[in-house]
Amino acid sequence: MKIGMLAVLFLLGALAAHAADVAVYAAVSLTDALKAIAPKFEAATGDKLVFNLDGSNVLALQISKGAPADVFFSADEAQMDKLQKAGLVDAATRKDVVFNRLVAIVGANSTLQLTSLADLARPEIKHLALADPRSVPAGVYAKQYLQDAKVWDQVEARVVPTQNVRAAMAGVESGNADAGIVYQTDALISKKVKIAFALPESSKVRIAYPAAALTHAANPDGAKKLVHFLQTDPDARAIFAKYGFIVGPPANGK
Amino acid sequence: MDSSSDLQLTANDGHAIVLTLVSALLAVLVDLAPGVALAWLLARKTWPGKSIVETLVALPLVLPPVATGLLLLDLLAHNGPLGGVVDVVFTWKAVAVAMAVMSFPFIVRGARLAFEAAGDRPEQVAATLGASPLRVFFSISLPISWRGITAGAVMACARALGEFGAVVLVAGNIPGVTATISTTMYNDILTGHDEHALLLAAISIALAFALILTGEQLLRRALP
Amino acid sequence: MTSRLALRQVEIGLGAFHLAIDVELQTGCVGIFGPSGAGKTTLVEIIAGLRHARKGHIALDEDVLADVENRKWIPPHLRRIGYVPQDLALFPHLNVRGNILYGAPKTVDVSEPSFDSLIEILGLEALLDRRIAALSGGERQRVALARALNAKPRLLLLDEPLTGLDQDRKDNVLEYLRLLRQRWSVPMIYISHQADEMADLCDEILVIRDGKLVVRGRAADIFEPAERPAWRLKRTLCVSPEQEHVERA
Repeated sequence: MKIGMLAVLFLLGALAAHAADVAVYAAVSLTDALKAIAPKFEAATGDKLVFNLDGSNVLALQISKGAPADVFFSADEAQMDKLQKAGLVDAATRKDVVFNRLVAIVGANSTLQLTSLADLARPEIKHLALADPRSVPAGVYAKQYLQDAKVWDQVEARVVPTQNVRAAMAGVESGNADAGIVYQTDALISKKVKIAFALPESSKVRIAYPAAALTHAANPDGAKKLVHFLQTDPDARAIFAKYGFIVGPPANGK
Repeated sequence: MDSSSDLQLTANDGHAIVLTLVSALLAVLVDLAPGVALAWLLARKTWPGKSIVETLVALPLVLPPVATGLLLLDLLAHNGPLGGVVDVVFTWKAVAVAMAVMSFPFIVRGARLAFEAAGDRPEQVAATLGASPLRVFFSISLPISWRGITAGAVMACARALGEFGAVVLVAGNIPGVTATISTTMYNDILTGHDEHALLLAAISIALAFALILTGEQLLRRALP
Repeated sequence: MTSRLALRQVEIGLGAFHLAIDVELQTGCVGIFGPSGAGKTTLVEIIAGLRHARKGHIALDEDVLADVENRKWIPPHLRRIGYVPQDLALFPHLNVRGNILYGAPKTVDVSEPSFDSLIEILGLEALLDRRIAALSGGERQRVALARALNAKPRLLLLDEPLTGLDQDRKDNVLEYLRLLRQRWSVPMIYISHQADEMADLCDEILVIRDGKLVVRGRAADIFEPAERPAWRLKRTLCVSPEQEHVERA
C-alpha cells in the first residue's frame, strides 16, 4: 500500500507542472534554513521553491553550462563573482543575504580552556582540524586568521586538512583532533562539540553568502521576489539567525 | 537543531527511493541489448580499433565518477552538442542516463566473460546445422551464456543504485525531482542530520539485499 | 553415395603453421590421417566454412564453396556440410531431442521416417528426453552424430570421433558408424591420428604430415597390422622409428 502511494507520489511529482516555480540553486549549508523558509515564501507569494543543493562550485559549474536556475545562493563569493564575470548574474539583484563567522571548537567533553587564536599553539593541541586550507573557503579563511595572529607557523605541522568543513567537525567529534575551526553554523548542528571562542571580526575575511537572480532565469520575477524576501522578510531573517547565520541589517551589502 | 523527525521518512525521501530504484532498473534495461551485442563482438571478432572500443567501454570504470559526470554534463547541457536534441539534464531522466553510463561496463564484462567461457564451438556447429548468424545468436549464444549475462546485470544494477558522482553533476540534487538515496544521504551528512543519513543507509542496504537475493534466485535455476 | 570434393591449391596459414593441399576426392568415406598438429582439424574447418583459407579454391560437386582469388565464399550455414568436432559441442541448454532436431530442414516433418530411422540406427529412443549432462561419452557421440545427420548434410565431417572413449565404447561407436555407412549413406570425411579406426571404415586414406599431403591410397596399401592388435604405417612410409604407430589406448 505504501509502495503504491509512493509510486503515485513519484508519478505526480514527475507530471506536475507548477506554474510559478522558482528554481533555487543553493549551497548545501543553507539546506535546513531554506527548507524552513520555503513555506513562508509560498504563503507570502504563492510561488513554490524548487531547490538544487550542492557545493557552490558544483552549482556554479552547472549554471555555467546552462542549468535551468532562477536564483543562485552561494556560500562562496568567489563562485558568484565567477558567474557575474561571465554575464550570467543579474548584478542589480545581487545581495549578501547572510554572513557567517568562524569559531574554534573542541570536543563537548573537552576540558581545554581556549580563548584566543594564540591558545591554538599550545602543546595540548596535537591535531587541529581545518577544511583544506589550500582549496576550501573555510580553510582558506582560517589560515588567513592564523597568519594574521602570527600563529600559523607554529600550528601548520599539526593541521589535519579535511575535504570539507563537516569532515573537520567530525574530526573533533571523534576525538581525532583536539580542536578545529569551523563555521558557527556547523558548530551549532553538532551536540558532540562546543564552541571555545568565536574568531574576531577581520577586515580581511568576509564570509558572505550572496544571492542573485540569474540572467537566463525562466522566472525572473519570482527570482527577484525571492532574493528580496530573503533579504527583508522578518520570519526569514529569524530562521537564518536560528541556524547560526549572521543576519546583517536589511538592504545592506553589495 | 530539530532532529526529532530525523528517523522518519519524508515524501522527498520516498521519492528518492522510488527514483533510485526505477532509474537503476531502467538503466540496466537500456544497457542490456547494446551491451550484450557489443560483448559478443568483443568476444568473437577482431577489427582495427578494437582496443579503442575496449578502452572507451572501460572508461566509466576507471575514471572518477565525477569526471564521467562532467563529460556527460558537457555533452548534454543545454548549450552543449546534444543539448538541442535531448532535454535531459536536471530532470529524472539524467539520473537514469548517468546510471546507464556508469553501469554499462559491468554489462559488457559479464556478458563477454560468459561468451568467452562458452567458446565458439557450439555457435560453429549450429551454423553447420543451417542456422543463420542471427538464429545462432538468439538460440545458442544467448541461452548458453545467460548466467554470466545475468550476473553482470545484477552487478550493473547494484552499481547504479549506489551511483553518486556522475548523477549529482548531470541531474543535480533536487529534492523531490532528481535527488537519489545517495545524494540525499550526502546532503544529510553535510547538514548534520547523521541519523537520517543512517536511516537511508539502512534502506540502501535493504535494497541491495533484495537485489542480490533476486539475482541469486535467478541464477539458481537449474542449469539446463 | 559419393560426392566430389575438390580442394584446389588450398593453402592455410595460421601464424607459423602452414598447410598446402591440392586434391580431388570422390568421397564415400575418406580418412585423413596424421599426427596431432598436422593441420587435419584446420583443413576440415575450412571445408565446413568455419575458417578462411589463405589461398585456393574449394568445390563440392557443382558448387563453389570458396574461391579466395575471386573473393567468393559461401558461409557455413548455407553449405549443408555437417561437422562433428572433437569436443562434440552438444547444446547444453537443449535436451537430446532438441539437439537432434536443431538442424532439421524446415520443410521436413518431425515424424518423417528418416528421423525415426536415424534414432533407431543409433539406438537413441530411450534418451530423447535426457539432458546432455546426463549422458555417457558414447551416448554423447551418438547424439552428436544424429544431430549432424538429421540436418541432411551432403557431406559429413567427423573429427576424431572416438577420442576419449575407452575400448568398449570405441568398438560400440565404431559399430554404429559402420551401420551408418551401410544404411544412411552420406559421404564422410573421417579424421583421426589412429589407424585402426579408419582401416576398415574408409575407402581411401589421405596421410598428412608437415603441412603436406604425403600419400593417398586404400587402407590396405597404407596400413599394416602389427604384432599386438594394432595398426601402423608401413615401414616404407615412416621417416623415423618414432613415427611408428601408436598402440591402442
